[in-house]
Amino acid sequence: MSENHTLLGLLPGATPAEIKAAYHAKLKEFPAHKHPQEFKAVRSAYEILQKELQQTNEDFFAISPSKVKLDRQALQGLRNRVASKLEVSLAELIQLTF
Amino acid sequence: MAKAVGIDLGTTNSVVAAISDGQPWVIPDENGEAILPSCVGLGADGKLLVGQEGIRQYAAAPERTVKSIKRQMGTNHKTSLGDREYLPQEISAIILRSLKQRAEKALGEEVTQAVITVPALFTDAQRQATKEAGEIAGFEVLQVINEPTAAALTYDFRNEETERVLVYDLGGGTFDVSIVEITGDVTEVLASHGNNRLGGDDFDRRLQLHLIELFYQKHQVAVPEDAAIQARLLRAAEQVKIDLSQHAFTAVREPFLVSQKKKALHLEADLSRETLETLLKPLLMETLSAIDRALADASMQAKDLDRVILVGGSTRIPLVQSLVSEHLGQAPVAGIEPDLCVALGAAIQAGVLSGESIDAILVDVIPHSLGISAVSDTVYGLRPGMFSVIIPRNSVIPISRSEAYSTTFDDQDMVEVNIYQGENAIAKENVPLGSFLIENLPLRPAGDLKIEVHFDFDHSGILAVTATEQGHGQQSSLIVENAATSRLSSQDLKQSRADIDSLFEVELDEDTGLDAEEDIEDD
Repeated sequence: MSENHTLLGLLPGATPAEIKAAYHAKLKEFPAHKHPQEFKAVRSAYEILQKELQQTNEDFFAISPSKVKLDRQALQGLRNRVASKLEVSLAELIQLTF
Repeated sequence: MAKAVGIDLGTTNSVVAAISDGQPWVIPDENGEAILPSCVGLGADGKLLVGQEGIRQYAAAPERTVKSIKRQMGTNHKTSLGDREYLPQEISAIILRSLKQRAEKALGEEVTQAVITVPALFTDAQRQATKEAGEIAGFEVLQVINEPTAAALTYDFRNEETERVLVYDLGGGTFDVSIVEITGDVTEVLASHGNNRLGGDDFDRRLQLHLIELFYQKHQVAVPEDAAIQARLLRAAEQVKIDLSQHAFTAVREPFLVSQKKKALHLEADLSRETLETLLKPLLMETLSAIDRALADASMQAKDLDRVILVGGSTRIPLVQSLVSEHLGQAPVAGIEPDLCVALGAAIQAGVLSGESIDAILVDVIPHSLGISAVSDTVYGLRPGMFSVIIPRNSVIPISRSEAYSTTFDDQDMVEVNIYQGENAIAKENVPLGSFLIENLPLRPAGDLKIEVHFDFDHSGILAVTATEQGHGQQSSLIVENAATSRLSSQDLKQSRADIDSLFEVELDEDTGLDAEEDIEDD
């Protein structure tokens, strides 16, 4: 991914507007009729970056697995609290039943 | 340094433009006419008649006059004129040669280089024929560019904000729609679509049929298939179309059209714009679906468009304007010269390519998909002869793409690569561009050999194909300059250039003597 950024003279995380501006600057540097090879490289880098942008946009709305990590200690505490309420002795159970 | 010009080689009209002081301008003829009708004729005395002179003799001598030759470009259609037969590119060369002369006279220097425009949807063969026409006329053709793209280059509302513009180009014989993104000096085409056989000529012919019908209704006599009578009707039909584009009603009067048993029958009819619109609407609806496809190819909706530009003489028809506005939900931009902007744009590109200091950057796309015939997995299982696309339509050019294929049979020792251009899933339904064989492959089980097919499409539209057997490096390649019918050898090209030169020389010799006479005729 960073290879395409480098080719267009961009830093990772560039905004769509920055990507387009960099692409246009490179077009001026390498017109298709004078530098076909460089032009093709610039163009394909731009296309890949655009596709990546599009994917990020799509991902935002897609259903994806939660990335939040569970705090094990808090979880254990919660489990203990719930369990303590549920633990019932046999005597208590008999009393409650009859 | 010799000048480079831009030429709009149209179906009905052609225009030449040049750059002076960084600005494009249209070069008029001696009478101040910007437009040269794309008409070539031979007078009764064998004199070459180009443009208005050709049009003038058309109704009287249709057999010695050629119109709309652009429709034949890329075919081997022969036109007889005098004692020689001409290919479409030779007739086009006469028009180009005439524009070259006009430019040289106006600029006072030799003009040797040109950018010539073609409809975006022109095929490889049609582009090649256009390039040849330029070469026969004595030009070095710097580039063949798409008409709507050229029109977009003249777009005046440029600023650093990106604007999305739809160019609707309906000319005499062809229709194109392009979606273009414009940011400052950069003009990028996102998608193009259209129809190579739809334009003002078709509208004229539709109206001509209507006039024939009206004549029959009145006299109960069919209009004979006589070329001169039909030419008169066609001319009348065109006039009706033009009149009804400005007025709500018009009258057609063609006296003495047909004589029946010593009685002369006249065509006399009143037509309304409504009638014209009923006739043309079915033809125009197709252009709206082309708009939708271009928008879909550009992943856009009508509401994403910032502006709509109308190009080409046929966009003067009010119905065209209203259908387009209604379909896109916005009125087209006013103030664009629909007849001249294609040539002006071509001049801008010619200036860029010949090294004038003009800041214009053009990024264009390929209008048709390119690929090869292959066995492909379809819903019906594996099928041979399917079209496997390597460069999809609307890819930015120049472009290089590769695709890997594997052998279908055990011990297959050769592979035939058949190259096509088009959008049909069945390879054979597309336009064939050429084929070649890779032979002496090592014997292996089916699917074991991998063949890489590489397509290289350059900015003047020439395709080079290379196929490589990946394990052992067997290689075979083909340059498809034009595999279709009309490619002329350099010898033929030289010959036809000399022939056309001599036609012009006859004209030049006689010119001096005829000048006075012509002036009187013009008045």
